[in-house]
Amino acid sequence: MKKILVVDDEESIRFLYKEELEEEGYIVECAMNGEEALQKLSAFKPDLVSLDIKMPVMDGIEALKRIREKERSLPIILCSAYGEYKQDLTTWASDAYVVKCADLTNFKCTIKKLLGSS
Amino acid sequence: MPNAHHSYDLLKSIVQLSTSSIPIQVKLNQILQAISGAFQSDRCLLLKPEQIEKSAFFSRLASEKKPLWVEEVTFFQKENVVLEEEDLFCPTFACIPLVVATSFQGILYIGFSKNHRFSPEEVDLLLLMGEVIGGAIRNEELHHKAEETISELTALYEMGKTITSTLNLEDRLKLIVTTGLKTLQAKGGVLRLEDKKSSELKIKYSIGEYHQNPLDEEIAQRVFRTQTPLSLNDSGEERLSLSVLCAPFFSKGRTFGTLAFYDKDSDSSKFDERDFQLLLTMANQISNAIENALTHYETTEMSQEHEKKVKELSTLGELNKALLTTVNFERILQLTLTAITIGDGLGFNRAMLFLVNEKDHILEGTIAVGPESAEEAGKIWASLSQRKGTLSDLITQLSPKGHSALNSIVKGIQIPLEQEQCILSRTFLEGRSFNIRFPQSKEGWIQTRCERGCHLGSEVGCYVGEHLSRDPRVYSFATVPLWGKGKVIGVILVDNLYNQNPIKEEDIHFLSLFANQAGLAIENAILYRNLEEVHQELKETQNQLVHREKMVALGELSNSIAHEIKNPLVSIGGFARRLFRTIPEDAPEKRYTQTIMIEVARLEKILTDIFNYTHDEAIAFKECDLRKIVEESLSMNQERADAEGVELVKEFSEEIPKINGDSHQLKQVFSHLIHNAYQAMRGQGTLSLRLHPISKNGASYVRVEVEDTGGGIDPENLHNIFNPFYTTKDYSLGLGLPIAHKIITSHRGQIEVDNKPGLGVNFMITLPGFERGRESRSKVVEADK
Repeated sequence: MKKILVVDDEESIRFLYKEELEEEGYIVECAMNGEEALQKLSAFKPDLVSLDIKMPVMDGIEALKRIREKERSLPIILCSAYGEYKQDLTTWASDAYVVKCADLTNFKCTIKKLLGSS
Repeated sequence: MPNAHHSYDLLKSIVQLSTSSIPIQVKLNQILQAISGAFQSDRCLLLKPEQIEKSAFFSRLASEKKPLWVEEVTFFQKENVVLEEEDLFCPTFACIPLVVATSFQGILYIGFSKNHRFSPEEVDLLLLMGEVIGGAIRNEELHHKAEETISELTALYEMGKTITSTLNLEDRLKLIVTTGLKTLQAKGGVLRLEDKKSSELKIKYSIGEYHQNPLDEEIAQRVFRTQTPLSLNDSGEERLSLSVLCAPFFSKGRTFGTLAFYDKDSDSSKFDERDFQLLLTMANQISNAIENALTHYETTEMSQEHEKKVKELSTLGELNKALLTTVNFERILQLTLTAITIGDGLGFNRAMLFLVNEKDHILEGTIAVGPESAEEAGKIWASLSQRKGTLSDLITQLSPKGHSALNSIVKGIQIPLEQEQCILSRTFLEGRSFNIRFPQSKEGWIQTRCERGCHLGSEVGCYVGEHLSRDPRVYSFATVPLWGKGKVIGVILVDNLYNQNPIKEEDIHFLSLFANQAGLAIENAILYRNLEEVHQELKETQNQLVHREKMVALGELSNSIAHEIKNPLVSIGGFARRLFRTIPEDAPEKRYTQTIMIEVARLEKILTDIFNYTHDEAIAFKECDLRKIVEESLSMNQERADAEGVELVKEFSEEIPKINGDSHQLKQVFSHLIHNAYQAMRGQGTLSLRLHPISKNGASYVRVEVEDTGGGIDPENLHNIFNPFYTTKDYSLGLGLPIAHKIITSHRGQIEVDNKPGLGVNFMITLPGFERGRESRSKVVEADK
């Protein structure tokens, strides 16, 4: 079973993602910011990380950088409310960029694609 | 020796002879014959004073005025007589000097070849004879002189009468020459006067061909310069004989002309001293008359000139008064041309005005005023002649019709200033007026052509003339520059097409004067108009700025709200979907959750629109197929409920060039336009989608049209449709069209609206065709990479 680490400061989003992804058959662990995500990374050893960008303590961009230092090939999806960071060079290190939406079809497809190829 | 009876007879016949009316020479001969017969003398002579002058003897006798009786020549002292006089002396003779009063008339000589003694009766008789003969000669002289004087007086009287009969200078000069010619019985005459401006002697009137003779000019110049009259009888062998009298006209110590007469119309064809004197008297007498006529002429001319100036000034004043009634640009132009064409104003038939467009370096036809035809011209002039009031009132009351053929022709004329052959360009560039008159020709007035093939060498001639002159014979027109402050701002063209009145230099002068005033008025009106425009623009810019600031603030606010709302919305929508999946199909909660899902999706779209409008999204330029994009946009909307009942018309050209663009963004545009069209038609109407290639300036473009029959846009709202947050729908945020506009503009395209209020609206999008090398080179991280 593939493991996914969901990082988001919004409790309701973490809850929604966890429910949806577990339903898809993934093992899901949540973190509320980048720092907590880094802490949980070595113990949980996820196969994929979903990172919200705007978060307190440590934001998604910083977390992406830190995770890439440790795990070069770990697939990472950046999630944001809108497409405002799409052209931001710092997001290039991620494997995908997903705009948050109530319809999670696109999000789930992206995960499936990334995990399928890795 | 006659006896008393004989003496009486002799005396009787001599008295009869002397009082008879036979010519004097015959009379004297008969008297001498009678005396000679009565006295039986051998010689009886009458020595005239001019003959006596040559003889010393008779001269002395004449000076003594005493009779001489020589009865025996031996006693006569012959030494007193010179040789040639000798044959005159008979052995006995008597010389009786003829003296009447103090005037000496000659000597009566009677001679006898034999010795003769003069009896006292004979002496008395001869002395009496002498007195009678002297009296007869004297009478004859007096008679002759009286006749001459009368004839001179008559001539002078005639001359005086003639020259005072008219004040007209030309007539007066003509009469002087003709009367002088008659009086002096001359064959020809020339009258010259000094031209005050050039100080040259100029022929004013002449009879005969004498003025063509170079000698005539020479004589006149000499008499004029030396102020001395001249009488010349030239019987030259080389030249034809010429008799001339020339006198100067004098006044106040200076000469101002000459009068010359040529060749007497008599046998001798020569003038005598008396003629000369008569001419001098005439010249003297008429000098003042001529000068008076000259002064009168000059005064009249001056007064006419002044009168004209006063009239011009008053007309100009009236015209200016009319111009001062408004600052409205169009009205000022109308008033200017009305003033030029109104009869009491400048009175031209037609007037056209061209103003310079400094940006494009062209002269643009702005306005024209004038009748369309000769009949219309006649009607206008007739109705104007019945109107009353001041000129300025009249001009301001008239308003020329704006839609005349002439006006539309002139408004369509544009002349590049570089086109130097054109009279209008030249008028503008050289800043001077032109008066052009084209002579009659077989071709009509197609006389000259400029490079562009315009008749008359001017575009106006080409357009206006061809159009309006159906029977072109002679066409005259004039152009004057329109001066603003220190520079030419346009050109006025005038003509007299209908009454064919010639355009005089003074007309142009007056027109130029008025054009200067009008130019300033027009320039002021332009400045005023510009000021108003700038003021309006400023007001609009200010409004836009305020609006934009509001928009920015609203955008920022919306953006932060959008961010805050998005996460909860994702949760609500996400969980609603989860619920939806778990609820059985027939449970009423299924619909409840579906409603939540739909509304969340709508909210998400609104938030995305706000975000997109407030953020510039980079375009991922790729070669795309507009046909595919439009089809996909259409299919995105075809599921909607209001699509049913709407007729769909697709007109797609076979060959559609590919374009450079972001298919995702373009889909957004067309989808929105189609969505709007369906909404406007509310389930019935026709949606037309057209797609065709077009070519502009050699470049290829694709034009997409989305047309509906949904009643169109209220014209009042039309200018707002691309403004964000402007909407007439209560369920929309009003960002669709602004976003579409933004996307099309960033694609270097154009979005145009053909609005038919009450019918429908057609959105026309033009996008440039594909060019290799313009594809996007930037890497964009996409979800599907």
